[in-house]
Amino acid sequence: MRDVAIVSFATTGPLPAVDDTETQMLFPVISEAIERSGIPRADIGFTCSGSADYLAGTPFAFVGNLEAVGAWPPISESHVDMDGAWAMYEAWVRLQHGDVDVALAFSSGISSRSDLREVLCLQNDPYYLMPLWADHGSLAGLQARAVAEAGLVDEVVDTVAAPPASDGAAAVIMVAGDRAREVCERPAWIRGIEHRSDPHYIGVRDLADVPSAQVAAAAAGVGGGPIDLAELSAAHPHEEVLLRRAMGLADLVEVNAGADPLMVAGLAHIGAAATAIHEGRAGRTLGHAASGPCLQQNLVCVMEGTP
Amino acid sequence: MAEDTATEDPGAPVRFMPQLIGLDYTIKTNPVAAAFGAALADGRITGHRCPSCQRVYAPPKGFCPICVVPTGEADLVEVADRGLVTSWTVLTPIQYAGQKEREDYALASILLDGADGTIGQQRLVDVPLDEIRMGLRVEAVWAPPDERVADDRGYGLGSAVSGWRPTGEPDAPPSAYQEHTL
Amino acid sequence: MAERCAVVGIAQTHHKKVRDDVSLAGLLREAGQRALDDAAMTWRDVDAVVIGTAPDSFEGVMMPELYLADALGAAGKPIMRVHTAGSVGGSTAIVATHLVQSGVRKRVLTIAFEKQSEGDTTWGLSGGRSGGVGAGGYFAPHIRAYIERSQAPEYVGWMVAVKDRLNALKNPYAHLKVPDITLEKVRDSPMVWEPVRRLESCPASDGACAMVLTDEAGGDRAPRPPAWVHGTAIRSELGQFPGRDPVNPQGGRDCAADVYAQAGITDPRREVDVVEMYVPFSWYEPMWLENLGFADVGQGWKLTEDGVTELTGALPVNCSGGVLSSNPIGASGMLRFAEAAMQVRGTAGEHQVEGARTAVGHAYGGAAQFFAMWVVRSTKP
Repeated sequence: MRDVAIVSFATTGPLPAVDDTETQMLFPVISEAIERSGIPRADIGFTCSGSADYLAGTPFAFVGNLEAVGAWPPISESHVDMDGAWAMYEAWVRLQHGDVDVALAFSSGISSRSDLREVLCLQNDPYYLMPLWADHGSLAGLQARAVAEAGLVDEVVDTVAAPPASDGAAAVIMVAGDRAREVCERPAWIRGIEHRSDPHYIGVRDLADVPSAQVAAAAAGVGGGPIDLAELSAAHPHEEVLLRRAMGLADLVEVNAGADPLMVAGLAHIGAAATAIHEGRAGRTLGHAASGPCLQQNLVCVMEGTP
Repeated sequence: MAEDTATEDPGAPVRFMPQLIGLDYTIKTNPVAAAFGAALADGRITGHRCPSCQRVYAPPKGFCPICVVPTGEADLVEVADRGLVTSWTVLTPIQYAGQKEREDYALASILLDGADGTIGQQRLVDVPLDEIRMGLRVEAVWAPPDERVADDRGYGLGSAVSGWRPTGEPDAPPSAYQEHTL
Repeated sequence: MAERCAVVGIAQTHHKKVRDDVSLAGLLREAGQRALDDAAMTWRDVDAVVIGTAPDSFEGVMMPELYLADALGAAGKPIMRVHTAGSVGGSTAIVATHLVQSGVRKRVLTIAFEKQSEGDTTWGLSGGRSGGVGAGGYFAPHIRAYIERSQAPEYVGWMVAVKDRLNALKNPYAHLKVPDITLEKVRDSPMVWEPVRRLESCPASDGACAMVLTDEAGGDRAPRPPAWVHGTAIRSELGQFPGRDPVNPQGGRDCAADVYAQAGITDPRREVDVVEMYVPFSWYEPMWLENLGFADVGQGWKLTEDGVTELTGALPVNCSGGVLSSNPIGASGMLRFAEAAMQVRGTAGEHQVEGARTAVGHAYGGAAQFFAMWVVRSTKP
């Protein structure tokens, strides 16, 4: 594998209901990430973005976001209808390919214009689950109960609260090899990045466990050394408990958990974990993204300050 | 949603059943569009001139996507409410859920005088469908002032301009529209 | 240096207006199972799954990789979902290719799909609002501009429609079959989006396409001859800006130049044996022939007129019947890539071009602003 590092990160952070379009919201974030990297925009060899049409409430919502990148002359570019962490993963794969040295990954999501509880119901199996309109909060409640019954927490916390509905955008620049050292004093070298899915039907899952996070963390090399900081996409307290256990994070590991904004959270957590290395606050960090009900899908990225 | 094939034969097994999903979205008018809409209510079409490449975008975006620089009130310009048809089509409307169109109608891309980009999917009115052509000069048909509601969706003119009709001027030459198909 | 990538398994479903015999998951499994059979592999052998489809609103399932994970054997595995508008089937195949070429995965199952019957695509395209133009209404002005610029005779569009529909008769999986197709029949079909007639347009289909991609060792072990990937390229450009040319987009030209350079192709017209390009409306054949460098600007229609693009011509185009005959939107791009690979594997059946060794697969999407291409050969790079 080639040495690839995150050299810059920019984000809006979670915003209350924005007035801007998604493209307008992204525009300064992408520009900031590029400017911080010190790399000319024209040197970006691959761009990948993450967003969700159903959050935007319009098909092909991601197409307009190209305007925030400046896709003229034409660029090599792709998109996943997933959290930006998976866009970053696709860009990392592209960098491993060897013919591209600089990649931009970004994502955006505006949750404030719809009822997330309703919208996310459409993630469920369309024939058997979706017609029940079982929302993420209710399903999280089932998982919280399972976690409590397994004795992993002392009490069930009320998780059936409304899910987070913030807006936001994030962007990272990744660079391969020596160029990363040239543009960044302390690049956040990606030691491992992996993702896995659990089954969709919660009836066939042990909700007190997250095997996909466990396997992804092991494959990403979390156990290869102590983690100074873990940035976790956990919407509810019991999810943090589950993720800590699944990834084998010691009790002392500093964890920042939080799940909003949707589609951005994972990339923003990875970016924050990279920033801790850039700023010399940590030597080995972990960024995590989750997707789907009850932590169905998990991505883990382990970064280090030394290659 | 799928058609209900079971209704044709009550005895047949149910292969499809309709499941109508309704989701509500709040559509916001962003600040750039709001200023554009205010001008529309006033009967004016505005744009932003990119300070870098000088291209005029009407409606304005708040940035130039080619130079990737922001634009703002300092870059505000007014363009004409007339221009030329750069491309067009006649549609036979497909009757999907929510479709209100019933008759064939024409949509065109229009290059306004003073703008560099076209506005797309504009309704042509007061012209026989078989007389529409590239280079046709047209002008805005303004809705009454109290009906001019701009929206953030579609192509930005909302209900302020109800359509575009021929001005009667001579057609513009191909050189005026060949670089502006979109 | 990148790992070599082999296409060792290819399958598609029968494409129909309504596949009411399978669920959405069943549709993908049908394609996936048969692609694995073709590769003599099982679901367990798969390291990663990459799926692609058009906007979620076409079927009403948000982020369908979540629901589909179980049916695709992806529990415990990595699965991701690509979405790049109409080019998505091609882009999805390219993401899968990169997973292999990068050395990250050894065996990747990639599936692209659409079940148009379980939603309402025109409703989806319009965002549920009245006055939606649909894809045909959107592209019709570009087609008009091409006709005006090239001065191509009106019957060229009819000829493409007849050719592709005759090719579809040789493809057991094709959706639309019109055995008595003639130029007159196309000419007399209703005008839908001036200047596009109904028989010059693609149908709405249910269908899926799947491919199994492996590293070189997997290709060497494969029970049937693999197709080897010699180049992949994607390009995106802004959809609308002053001076943009949607008739002959720069992104398509750049994409073609990139993929030919990777494959060592300097004269595509002579070095490529067969082409599958994304032609949802008949006039896109001559338009893309020019855009992809098979003909000079304004000359593409002459290749069609001269019969060069027929199955027995010097440069056969869309031997499968193309998008004009089957259009499960999200899968349509991958079907082009798969047909190109089938041709160099020699497994295209009745629509096989004899001796095909180098093939191009092409897809486009959005406002003719997203492009995906690959070059496959019967020999290793």
